[in-house]
Amino acid sequence: MATDRTTPGGPFLPADGDPVPPALRGFARAHAALVELRDDPPHLLARDRAPARRVGLVSGGGSGHEPLHAGFLGRGMLDAVAPGKVFASPHNRQVLAASRAAAGPDGVLHVVKNYTGDRINFGIAAERLRLAGIASRRVLVDDDVATDSADTATGRRGTAATVVVEKLLGGAADAGLGLDELADLGARVAAASRSLAVASRAQTSPHTGRPAFDLEPGEIEYGVGIHGERAARSVPRPPTADLVARMLDAVTAALPDGPGDVLVVVNGLGGTTPLELYGLYDLVAGDLDRRGLTVADALVGTFVPALDMAGFSLTLTRLRPEWRPWWDAPAVTPAFPRANGAA
Amino acid sequence: MDLDQNAVLRRYATAVDAAHGELTRLDRHSGDGDFGDNLRAGLRAAAARHDRTGGPAFAVLGEVFLDEVGGTSGPLFGLLFTEIARALAADPGAFASGAAAGLGAIRRVGEAEIGDRTLVDALAPAVDALHGPRPFAAAARAAADGAARTAGLRARRGRASYLGDRALGAADPGAAGIALLFWAVASVAEPDDDVPPPF
Repeated sequence: MATDRTTPGGPFLPADGDPVPPALRGFARAHAALVELRDDPPHLLARDRAPARRVGLVSGGGSGHEPLHAGFLGRGMLDAVAPGKVFASPHNRQVLAASRAAAGPDGVLHVVKNYTGDRINFGIAAERLRLAGIASRRVLVDDDVATDSADTATGRRGTAATVVVEKLLGGAADAGLGLDELADLGARVAAASRSLAVASRAQTSPHTGRPAFDLEPGEIEYGVGIHGERAARSVPRPPTADLVARMLDAVTAALPDGPGDVLVVVNGLGGTTPLELYGLYDLVAGDLDRRGLTVADALVGTFVPALDMAGFSLTLTRLRPEWRPWWDAPAVTPAFPRANGAA
Repeated sequence: MDLDQNAVLRRYATAVDAAHGELTRLDRHSGDGDFGDNLRAGLRAAAARHDRTGGPAFAVLGEVFLDEVGGTSGPLFGLLFTEIARALAADPGAFASGAAAGLGAIRRVGEAEIGDRTLVDALAPAVDALHGPRPFAAAARAAADGAARTAGLRARRGRASYLGDRALGAADPGAAGIALLFWAVASVAEPDDDVPPPF
């Protein structure tokens, strides 16, 4: 197989070795005013945090999901992140180092997406923090409707609702909430969030420079995750408005009862343009209107991709009125959009 | 009686060397095949570090398995070693409470129950057996029996859970690794019981 540099359509990655270390260095250089990269083991820290913050917010997970996680480091969101290799959980040493660096007087809160490797590595780090006398709790994000099955013990995957959880927790942490209050809030936000994702083309394999899996013409993967795996099923591709309606049927049906005001995330999976995403949001907003749901605010863009997969996810969170100030609070990070206000 | 931790480390490393092929076979059956490599590498690294630094062997085992061993089961073993080391440091006769604390940590992290086909199926009965007469030999037998029973279990946790019935017929490699640990402890602490190696 030709190297990725010479394969038509191949990604611009180092021809040899792990693409993550140079990307971490480049990220830290590009955002040097906001974040700091530390090595051995690799983890990233926010340079600034609100003086009232008592709890360090720590997240992390596989690489290939940029701007998640490091893009949300900074005042108003995360204090430290542990970046794993592409689509792989960080080592518990990385989580431990990030947690030690970020811990506040009231300890650390881990924001963990529901994948077995992430759960175990964050869990081991939590045990080591306990032995070191540092309090920690975990918020598990498990929003993916496509994996809502009673047949396994693994539960719904964690995907794009992570951004909503991290934003609300960041605002609340800046307001001085304690560890248990933040953990309870995070659990409530995660429980109020559901997502679904589709893809029309697989991500490019960094190893071969070719799509990681092939789709039949006229088909889409319905219910993909963010680690590049195929969905449970391929379906004939409907007109886009019908696809959005079908996805919103599934997401709203799975959404627990709560306020009619919803936060909306239209998230690109890496190979989907802003032109497409804003067009999709226009369909989403019109559809939600007809369902009697009010859009409290929307994020439209690429926040939690799967490398360069062509596709998108839709996330809804029922926004409790008391959470609103934390959503509106400033977030000074490399990637969270600062100016909000959707209709 | 104080446990000779150094002797346990050497005995465990030797036993895992001898069982490496079988551990690899078990993990090829139900996982990704690297468990024998990871366990052996971790024990060799711990023995080498212990040669250099000395100190309580379980503390060295804990550090090496938490910091250096890959996969998900390696660091889980590290939690068990660390809790045993903590208990023995406070009270040389407290192996049982350390093993129980390790089981607690592993269950919190892995969220596995008995019967899920994980290392908990060997560790939990061993921890229970440590409270009877001839505790180490009893724990070694209980761990070996628990590991053997996993061959008939459908996995609900870990990588084998993706395989359904295809994982049946061979023991869980993590449980086998635990059985080897308790065999090593028994063969050092109660050698006259002459428990046979489980794998």
